[in-house]
Amino acid sequence: MIDENVVDLSRLQFAITAMYHFLFVPLTLGLSFLMAIMESVYVMTNKQIYRDMTMFWGKLFAINFALGVTTGLTMEFQFGTNWAYYSHYVGDIFGAPLAIEGMMAFFLESTMIGLFFFGWDRLSKRKHLMVTWLVAFGSNMSALWILIANGWMQNPVGAEFNYETMRMELTSFAEVIFNPVAQVKFVHTVAAGYVTGSIFVLGISAYYMLQKRDLAFATRSFAVASGFGLASILSVILLGDESGYTAGEVQKVKLAAIEAEWETEEAPAAFTAFGFPNQETQHTDYAIKIPYVMGIIATRSLHEEVLGIKDLIKIGEQHIREGMIAYGLFKQLRKELKEEGKVREETKAEFEKYKKYLGYGLLLKKYTVNVVDATEEQIKKAALDTIPPVAPLFWAFRIMVASGFLILLVLLLSFYFTATRTIVNQRWLLWGALFAIPLPWIACEMGWVVAEVGRQPWTIGGILPTHLSVSTRTAGELYFSIAGFIVFYTVLLVVEMYLMFKYARLGPSSLHTGRYHFEKETVK
Amino acid sequence: MWYFAWILGVLLACSIGIINLLWLEAEENFEKNSD
Amino acid sequence: MIFDYETLKLITWLLVGVLLIGFALMDGFDMGIGALLPFLGKTDEERRVIINSIGATWEGNQVWFVTAAGAIFAAWPIVYAVSFSGFYLALLLTLFALFFRPVGFDYRSKLKDPRWRSTWDWGLFVGGFVPALIFGIAFGNLLQGVPFHFDDELRAFYTGSFLALLNPFALLAGVVSLSMLVMHGAVYLQIRTTDVIHERCKKAVKLFGVIFIVSFAIAGVWIAYGIDGFKVISMPALDALPNPLAKTVEIAPGAWMSNYETYSWSMLLPALAFVGAIIAIFWSMFNAPVLAFIASSMSIVGVIMTVGMAMFPFVMPSSTNPSHSLIVWDSASSYLTLTIIFWASVIFIPIIIFYTSWVYSVLRGKITVEHIRDNEHTSY
Ligand code: HDD
Ligand code: HEM
Ligand code: HEM
Repeated sequence: MIDENVVDLSRLQFAITAMYHFLFVPLTLGLSFLMAIMESVYVMTNKQIYRDMTMFWGKLFAINFALGVTTGLTMEFQFGTNWAYYSHYVGDIFGAPLAIEGMMAFFLESTMIGLFFFGWDRLSKRKHLMVTWLVAFGSNMSALWILIANGWMQNPVGAEFNYETMRMELTSFAEVIFNPVAQVKFVHTVAAGYVTGSIFVLGISAYYMLQKRDLAFATRSFAVASGFGLASILSVILLGDESGYTAGEVQKVKLAAIEAEWETEEAPAAFTAFGFPNQETQHTDYAIKIPYVMGIIATRSLHEEVLGIKDLIKIGEQHIREGMIAYGLFKQLRKELKEEGKVREETKAEFEKYKKYLGYGLLLKKYTVNVVDATEEQIKKAALDTIPPVAPLFWAFRIMVASGFLILLVLLLSFYFTATRTIVNQRWLLWGALFAIPLPWIACEMGWVVAEVGRQPWTIGGILPTHLSVSTRTAGELYFSIAGFIVFYTVLLVVEMYLMFKYARLGPSSLHTGRYHFEKETVK
Repeated sequence: MWYFAWILGVLLACSIGIINLLWLEAEENFEKNSD
Repeated sequence: MIFDYETLKLITWLLVGVLLIGFALMDGFDMGIGALLPFLGKTDEERRVIINSIGATWEGNQVWFVTAAGAIFAAWPIVYAVSFSGFYLALLLTLFALFFRPVGFDYRSKLKDPRWRSTWDWGLFVGGFVPALIFGIAFGNLLQGVPFHFDDELRAFYTGSFLALLNPFALLAGVVSLSMLVMHGAVYLQIRTTDVIHERCKKAVKLFGVIFIVSFAIAGVWIAYGIDGFKVISMPALDALPNPLAKTVEIAPGAWMSNYETYSWSMLLPALAFVGAIIAIFWSMFNAPVLAFIASSMSIVGVIMTVGMAMFPFVMPSSTNPSHSLIVWDSASSYLTLTIIFWASVIFIPIIIFYTSWVYSVLRGKITVEHIRDNEHTSY
């Protein structure tokens, strides 16, 4: 049987490395567009200050980008090193977007980024501008393909299980690309990246204004960030989660867990704003409810029900029983194939009927290798497993939403006072913008917790359980690799933060053009 | 079609960023010219 | 689609070969230069010259590596799964070594402190040296067979240890790949530099070129006479659905030479590897590094194709249960997925080559110490 220790350690390692990767990704996504905007204005107006802005924010971009690439390499390896069975089982579908991501996005961005930094004197203005836009475009295409892959894990469309090759196989690439979950995820996530970039520029510019230095530079950066950021946060909030929920089984369970909705309520359901979900008693203690809101958020209507967790567990149990039949037939098929060289038509027809639930059968593998001999008690346990941990989802989601609204507030005010040209005097708001810098990162990380923890117990929703997905390695090897990642990542993060703070404090003076604050002081 | 919405959205957001700056420039020039 | 499944499987094999060659040619010289950095650059400024000769382009080059991994995942999922999880510790070491490169290039010259800078210089050394060595070791082990097998549901079990990877033949293969890439790196650096560094490059090309030629020759003899190869005895039709458990394979002495015996023209591949290296050494000595670069590239192409030809159709032979070996015909993805990868490559690889060439032509020219002084704050 599979060592549960290895499963837990592999999950821990994936969570650490993925969340770490996503500290750097959103800033890359957002800042690249902000730089492209600044440089576009440079080309339009021909004012040197916009070139300086592009170059300065580019310096910070570079510091961040280096770690984005470093941690991305880990991700590319990790499916093979730690999730070998997963890689074999779904590589036919999952691998293609990853390969295309490399060819279409990574090459473009990584090749152009060099020219962005070293091409200032070698390219015409327009050509250089084009390079900057290509960097931004490349980074967004990279997000597109990886999120198509991730969206497929949440809602596996356009693929079918093949008992002969023992894996999922692609049936329609278009369905995978236009998967509704992937689409929504993409817009929400890249827009979250734009917000991150905007708040970053906004906060640091506010700092210069608070210090009353390099004002022309700071107000201009502030203006770009507030405009671009406001549009982005609106799309994060308004568009991001419009749809995609009812698309797959996993999303239904996830939604109920996010809302800690244990019982199915009559439409329209109430929204639990606060409370302490308790998975054991299946009850939310000290719940504060707001009537109607939940029904509207989840179904966008007043009449449809939102299924509660207890009912979803019952449905899960049903699927598991069908899954046991599917697994029995699958074994039968493999046997016939081996012994007779081909399968019987009747077995095949029966299997087609149940094959949809094969994944639910596999959930039982945690308790019994043969699946078909599972006891009632084991089935009940597996049914409970179909629900992800409720409390983390409940809280992570609320933290993300709260951050989102705080960010919206900051950006609205910033935009307004930029328009009235009084921003330099609004010191309270400038402080607010400075302290808002961590918010988008918190929201992004919490968002991934919602998305990924909410997918448990599956790696591929309804198809492949997490505990089957791992490689057959030993716990000792995993301790080694996790320790390695923690040491490297901690050191690298400290170094990165040090440089980031140093250059952010220095501001545009770090360009050594002689035009900015610290250099004017030292020029006697 | 959320992909399509994204294309429009990015173009819109970038334009807002650019216009916000050009507006600031225009006003500054205007003030300089008037005094 | 214009191809049948079996042709497509073969094309996929060629495609992975192209990506690996692209990786070795492009990222190869970055790694070679990384491994040479502390030795060819004696002063801080000299080291900056070396770093800036590749600073603007190494990042794009590394993507050949990332994409090769992604393409193997997509084209041969089971090979990706078994090799990456099987070589677990070796791959993690490679990964940790690679960590030094993005940060090394970018952060090194951002602070003036000499200890800071020399730390990152050694980091860049590790980032070039270790992966170049380990890739060779990995191929050395592939040629001897890897200890893995499957159960009926195709879960892979790997039974070897990390230390067993470091056997004599594998280490020799490591020397081959390291010396090959260092030679290639030195040739490239010679193109981009002047004076002292230029001269030191020539010496490096000579030294590592000779090491490469000798070690490659020994490895060749060893494979022909000392290492047992693998031979497919019987298997399903070439266009059958991929099932790695359906064939029988035998270990046989000299089996890696059988393709060379059948197709005698293929002896040109190892010949290309030798001749390329010899020509590279000569052109480098006679101050024609661009020509030397073409020659060393030919040499690398020769080496990779030599290994591919020897092993074909094997991709990952199993020493525990030879019949569970992974071969070109039974590791591939579905027909549809292979088709998609085929078209994606046909469209994107030419585009990539096009803009990469453009970037190199914009950034061409020698990097000198004066150049670094003039661009104190913008160069790496
Ligand atoms: C393309 C696929 C993919 C992508 C883009 C991400 N993940 Fe993920 N994630 C997985 C594929 C995956 C996985 C392989 O499927 C894991 C490993 C174990 C598991 O259950 O799912 C997983 C687990 C996992 C867990 C642990 C959940 C648990 O075990 O309870 C967390 C917290 C995250 N991920 C967070 C992230 C973050 C912050 C990401 C942002 C970059 C991210 N994931 C991107
Ligand atoms: C688990 C899945 C992921 C894998 C396997 C992965 C892989 C990678 C790799 C290999 C790189 C380095 C590329 C290079 O060498 O230039 C990278 C960087 C990057 N990744 Fe990820 N990544 C993952 C998740 C994500 C997500 C979820 C996003 C965005 C929403 C994202 C966006 C980016 C961006 C913008 C970069 C910046 C560097 C570049 O494009 O070169 N990645 N990723
Ligand atoms: C304020 C309203 C917001 C709502 C209603 C909301 C809703 C959600 C939901 C339901 C998910 C899970 C999607 C899934 O599991 O498939 C999610 C994911 C995510 N959220 Fe938000 N979110 C909001 C604000 C934000 C903000 C402000 C950010 C960052 C700046 C953010 C970043 C993310 C990220 C990175 C993910 C993971 C990727 C994904 O699954 O789309 N969200 N969001």
